[in-house]
Amino acid sequence: MADSTELLHGTLDTLILRTLSWGPRHGYAVARWIQEISSDALQIGEGSLYPALYRLERKGWVETEWGLSETNREVKLYRLTAAGRARLKVELAQWREFSSAVAKVLYGT
Amino acid sequence: MPPLGRFARPLRRLWKIPVAREVDAELAFHLEMRTREYIAGGMDPAAARAEATRRFGDVAEINATCQDLGRRRDDEMRRAQWISELGQDVRYALRQLRANPGFAAVAVLTLALGIGASTTIFGVANAVLLRPLPFGEPARLVRLFGVTATTDQFSASEPDYLDWRAQNRTFADMGAFMMRNVSLVGGGEPEQLPALGVTPSFFRVLGVRPLAGRVFAEEEGRPGGGDGVVVLSHGFWLRRFGGNHRALGQTLSLSGASYEVVGVMPPGFESVWGADVWLPLAPAPTSVRADHGLGVIGRLRPGATAARAASDMRDVAAQLTAQYPESNKDYSVRVVTFADWLIGAELRARVIVLLVAVGLLLLMACANVANLLLARAGARSREISLRAALGAGRGRIVRQLLTESVVLSLVGAAFGVAFAVAAVPVLREAGADSVARINELTVDWRVLTFGIAASLLTGLLFGLAPVGALMTGSGGGGLHGRLRSGARIVGAGRLRAALIVASVAMAVLLLVGAGLVGGSWMKLTRVDPGFRAGGVLTAQLTLPRVRYPEVERQEAFYTEALRRIAAVPGVRSAGATNIAPFSGGDTGIPFTVVGRAPTGEGEALEASWRSVTPGYFAALGVPLRRGRVIAEADGRRAPKVVVISETMARRVWPGVDPVGQAIRVPRDTTPWMVVGVVGDIRDQALQDEPVALMYLSFAQVTWPSMWLVVRTAGEPGAAAGAVRREIWSLDPTLPVAEVQPLSRLVSAAAAEPRFTMLIFALFAAAALALAVVGVYGIVAYGVTQRRREIGGRLALGARPRQIVSDTLRHGVGLAALGAVLGLGVAYALSRFLATILYGVAPTNAATYVGVAVVIVSCAALASLAPARRASRLDPVQALRSE
Repeated sequence: MADSTELLHGTLDTLILRTLSWGPRHGYAVARWIQEISSDALQIGEGSLYPALYRLERKGWVETEWGLSETNREVKLYRLTAAGRARLKVELAQWREFSSAVAKVLYGT
Repeated sequence: MPPLGRFARPLRRLWKIPVAREVDAELAFHLEMRTREYIAGGMDPAAARAEATRRFGDVAEINATCQDLGRRRDDEMRRAQWISELGQDVRYALRQLRANPGFAAVAVLTLALGIGASTTIFGVANAVLLRPLPFGEPARLVRLFGVTATTDQFSASEPDYLDWRAQNRTFADMGAFMMRNVSLVGGGEPEQLPALGVTPSFFRVLGVRPLAGRVFAEEEGRPGGGDGVVVLSHGFWLRRFGGNHRALGQTLSLSGASYEVVGVMPPGFESVWGADVWLPLAPAPTSVRADHGLGVIGRLRPGATAARAASDMRDVAAQLTAQYPESNKDYSVRVVTFADWLIGAELRARVIVLLVAVGLLLLMACANVANLLLARAGARSREISLRAALGAGRGRIVRQLLTESVVLSLVGAAFGVAFAVAAVPVLREAGADSVARINELTVDWRVLTFGIAASLLTGLLFGLAPVGALMTGSGGGGLHGRLRSGARIVGAGRLRAALIVASVAMAVLLLVGAGLVGGSWMKLTRVDPGFRAGGVLTAQLTLPRVRYPEVERQEAFYTEALRRIAAVPGVRSAGATNIAPFSGGDTGIPFTVVGRAPTGEGEALEASWRSVTPGYFAALGVPLRRGRVIAEADGRRAPKVVVISETMARRVWPGVDPVGQAIRVPRDTTPWMVVGVVGDIRDQALQDEPVALMYLSFAQVTWPSMWLVVRTAGEPGAAAGAVRREIWSLDPTLPVAEVQPLSRLVSAAAAEPRFTMLIFALFAAAALALAVVGVYGIVAYGVTQRRREIGGRLALGARPRQIVSDTLRHGVGLAALGAVLGLGVAYALSRFLATILYGVAPTNAATYVGVAVVIVSCAALASLAPARRASRLDPVQALRSE
């Protein structure tokens, strides 16, 4: 798990932004989404999600508000800001470029 | 609100939750949900909990990291909010100013005046008192003066200086200097340079090192130890050598001898003595002890005080008197610190008085703007109560009001500093000849800092007035209750009225001063100096002794030069004198009347004297009253003659025709025959009565340095080129200095009174403007406060004219009270002005009446606008307004 965390450190932010692009949700829901869309293949140290969220908030890419969870508890909800949305676009484009470059190297053209 | 946008929504909820609780709750929720999931998947609760925690990672560490990040986020948010609120406040304040252009203009003008005037005066104080002297440890520097029965600013003789230096016990060292103008030849026109002969110790005493090269070596300061070296001032080095270091080692031709450049002094060093070059001075113990020509400076030993040095030097002088009674009888020494010598206790006091006055002016500006703000606070109480009702906190409203006043004062400061920048060159020009160190007057960082600090302080000070009124106003329910009720903001009305009366009184005081000083300046410019200054060109020549050693050669030069100049077309007459009027010099001599018994001591006759050529009287326009003026025939071998002024005739020979009488002067065995009487002239200070003056024949009392006085048909400046040409046709290496119209010397003589008048005028104008604004402010405020009453009276049928006259009476009444007070104080204080007044009594009635009329009519004008506004109130609205 530690190894994959290292590997994923830079991508974690992108994953969070991607997850939040479908709508506001709390930290646990973000963790669940990442787990699901990656079919548990991308195993992360779940706790490291939270410092990442706080960092993104300081950068102004996400904002928080308090709302109710599915279980009717008061929880902190994260929401993508306009700046976060723009950032996500940039990162997705970078990813596409990177993976196609990797593909070229691995498979040749 | 762009900067705050992303925080705006979460703010209200998030604000009060501590970060620790926020993080705890969030992480606990996560673990709990995960545990539940595992339980739902069939795990037992304990195992589920353990698995969830394992999967999460190091809870404590993550918690700490999140708390840290969260705290930083909150700090940033708070800062962003503060800045954003400040931005809002500033924008709101600017909007308020734009919405009330009249108020804004008056307030800004008031502040600009207060801050501008105080910044300018602070600039003067800065230049004169605060900027450090360009010397090392200036506090230990003193000047030493000889003291005789008649003067306490006497110079020292060379042997005396050497004895002082050798015998004192309180000085680290002493140095001596002597003015010694030289002419520079080579490279362009010959030029006269202000030069100073100085002992090698001179530079050491001042504690200044050369910028390049060296200063004089000890042996260059011994008699015969070597002349021929010169140290340059920074300014001269730039001018002559373009600041090139290769100047060192080059040779300058000064007054016919050549000098090697050995050093350059740092910039600013010459500011005190105004010398271009320094030459070695070698005081000799064999010089005449009674021949006083040296200026002496000293550096006190560490720990020695000026007072101790003074008593030490008195002992030294007493010993010298005992040793050399012939030359040193009644001769003592005085020690003056550099600060006192350069600035003088009187100038220091004057500057400090100015600073105090300007502080009062600034206070007046504060009081006035505070009044304006109070007047407006009444009108704004509804707006403020609305804001309070919408949830603005007490602190927030206070901050808003203070921001408004600081913004106002900063805008005022911008104009005020612009005002100072404009006023400074005017003052520098005006004070150049009469105020020490005023040439250093600039708007530097100190002055700017002062202006900005003054404006911020002012802003907070007058901003507190409406805030204070809000806080202390009557009515229950706290600030919010008071604000919501729309209750009128009641301030200390009496205090405000007193402030206005005081500010009017102060304006009156300053106006009276300005009127008196201005009046005497006008009188002074109309003083008849006894000669016709218009149409006269002056030039100053100094014949170097190297090339003109004999008086015959000097006389021949001047006679021929004047003959040639007189022949120039457009020149009416030409003459020469050893001292031109208002050129800053004087020469005097005691004398006795032939055939009259010597009078007792204290009644010794003394007169100023000038050595003049025959053409001098015609060129200057001095009228002949009796007898004749100096003639060509009064040559070296002819009987000695003297032409005297009317004052001298009246004093020495009252009721007797002086022509044909004779006088004797010391060290001359032949009597001097009075041959004529001419009109009195003033040539030292315009305000001084003419003194006894006698004119001697230049051919009989020949002088190497003379002023040419040339009367021209047209504009005197036009003849300058021709005069120079004629002189250089005789001697191409002779510098021609001070080529200027004589009228410039005369008007420079009025420079100090003009400077004083300018300062007074500046103050008085500012004070008058402030007083007018003050009266306007309080009357306008009164109208706002009495809206209901006025509306009621109008509703009950009062005529608008009645309202107008009542309101006018309010403003004029205050002004009249202030005027009476101010005139009283002015009357009591005016005698302190007596020393600087000329031809105007300190109690000049016309000035007092004029000032009273000016101030009261200004107050009436200032009250007119609010009065007319009051008379046009709609009674219905006014009554409903609260």
